Amino acid sequence: MKLLTRSTYYFFIFSTLAMIAAGALFYYTIRTIVYKQIDDSLITEKTIIQDQLEETDTIPDFAASFGYLIKVRLLNSPTIYSQIINDTDLFDIKSNSYLAFRHLRFSNNTTGKTGYTINIYQVLDKNKELLDSVTIIMFFLFLSLLLASLFVNYLISKKLWSPFFDAINEAAKFNVLSDKPPELQDTNINEFKQLNMVIEQMTSKMRSDYINLKEHNENSSHEIQTPLAVIRSKLDMLMQKRNLSRESIDLIKSINEATTRLFKLNQGLLMISRIENLQFPETKEISLKEFIQKGLNNYEEIMQLKKIKVETEISDAALVRMNETLADVMISNLLSNAVRYNTDNGYIKCRLDNKCLTITNSGLPLEIDPDQVFNRFRKGTSHPQSVGLGLSIVKKITDLYNMQITYSCIGTVHEIKLIY
Amino acid sequence: MMRSIIFRCNLVYYYSLMKLLIVEDENSLSRSIGEYLKMEGHICEFAKNYKEAFIKTADNSYNCIILDIGLPDGNGLDIIREMKKNRSTDRILILSAKSSLEDKLTGLKIGADDYLTKPFHMSELSARVNSICRRDNFVGFNEVSFNEIKVRTDENQAFANDQLLNLTRKEYDLLLFFMSNRDRIVTKESIVEHLWGDNVILTDSFDFVYTHVKNLRKKLIANNCRNYIKVIYGFGYKFCEP
Repeated sequence: MKLLTRSTYYFFIFSTLAMIAAGALFYYTIRTIVYKQIDDSLITEKTIIQDQLEETDTIPDFAASFGYLIKVRLLNSPTIYSQIINDTDLFDIKSNSYLAFRHLRFSNNTTGKTGYTINIYQVLDKNKELLDSVTIIMFFLFLSLLLASLFVNYLISKKLWSPFFDAINEAAKFNVLSDKPPELQDTNINEFKQLNMVIEQMTSKMRSDYINLKEHNENSSHEIQTPLAVIRSKLDMLMQKRNLSRESIDLIKSINEATTRLFKLNQGLLMISRIENLQFPETKEISLKEFIQKGLNNYEEIMQLKKIKVETEISDAALVRMNETLADVMISNLLSNAVRYNTDNGYIKCRLDNKCLTITNSGLPLEIDPDQVFNRFRKGTSHPQSVGLGLSIVKKITDLYNMQITYSCIGTVHEIKLIY
Repeated sequence: MMRSIIFRCNLVYYYSLMKLLIVEDENSLSRSIGEYLKMEGHICEFAKNYKEAFIKTADNSYNCIILDIGLPDGNGLDIIREMKKNRSTDRILILSAKSSLEDKLTGLKIGADDYLTKPFHMSELSARVNSICRRDNFVGFNEVSFNEIKVRTDENQAFANDQLLNLTRKEYDLLLFFMSNRDRIVTKESIVEHLWGDNVILTDSFDFVYTHVKNLRKKLIANNCRNYIKVIYGFGYKFCEP
């Protein structure tokens, strides 16, 4: 649930409860005041009647008591009812309905005088009407107050929290690859200031760490090149020596193979870190056809040797906007894989149209999980000399240009599909 | 026949007098380079930092300068700029631990002739140096010959006993590669890297190199050449007098 919805929701519940309570309190207060007034007037009336009775011992002229309905009953027995005040309904013949009255009853049984029970009623209608209209007015007043305050609360919260939402958006948009710091809204609320500060610190730390790491990767790969060059040159010199024993030759051969592997590995890692460091910024419209044909020509002799049949179905229209070197690396890696992992008397099928490039080749069944072929250093056991970086370089390149690459393997049929 | 003998003499004379400057701060690497190139009869001088290189290039003239651009006390590219300012015609081969394209493009733009990324095979270096030196505009520099074999690099043609050899592009490159490294062992790996490029981690076995060499040898022998390509156990081949 959104923060704003939730805060509005709580505000709504609590203010509704508060308003109901306030309304009820208000209602009963008004009611009590009204009743108090009526009761006071009933008691005044009672005093007047009592005074009259004491003076004259006659029932006063009730018609004179405007607004009151007074009923007098003679007491048969000397019983005295205690005074009560309550609400009661009486039937009104005129309007043919019950009407609400406030009722006061008292007895007068002064010795030596005639005993009476006197009921004084006062119509409540007018007061009730007042109460009702007050209630209705109150209800609408409260309701509009509630809605207004909900709305205002929503607006205020939205305004108050906007630096927060802004910070979240900026943090979500943040990309460690871009050199743009997140643009955070200025705010004078301490907590948000703190939040912005933390985000700024974190992102700048992340970026500097990332840059450091990238530079470290690239630099260490570069630094490895020189000692490798020394090893390689010494090996080349060592091989020139005459009269080497077979044993020495085998040793040199092993060292040479390992050095070559180390070199290839370093070269692959360097390529990956250079792609990551965006060091191939120049792009142009590239015809993949040329690169495929160049690649196939390059491997022609090897394919002849392995008796691999090549089928191509290549359209001229396939143009991709990318860096030339990377296009070359990508295509030659894909083709060399198709050649390398092929079997004797196998085949390679190349299909290129303006949407995708499909390279299908025969080969041995896959030893590793097909989803992992693009991961670094994933390779089967049948090619111990492989460094396992070829396809992850291809993947880096396709990621760079938002292309999609998929690999599938059904039995001995391997297929790479590149959608651009 | 007479002409060809004169050519050959010129070449031998030229090669033996080729003067190279190796600018490299890594001592053991420059020693190996020197040793390897001396086997061909080249004269090598060394400079191990920017200052030495600067003085040597200003005072002397070389056929080719092998220049590591990552020097401890300066950028090798500045040496090229300085040389070009002084209208030096010395050929320059850049060595670099960085394979970055910008460095390469900058180097070639300001006047270097070639660019080689570390680590490299000595045979590759030798082939590049020879190829650079052949670009000089003297008569005969476009030709490399070895006994009855003659390669015209300006036309990409090879002859045996003055008969045009019908070689594929790769066989031609292979022959030239061998001839640039005569009397020295050339590994199968360096052949693969030279012919197919090192961008691709191509294969685990180098059987196809064997096929190539076999085809080349067959074509040479068919044209009455002696068998110059010797198989060296474990390593590769050596192009030498049988």
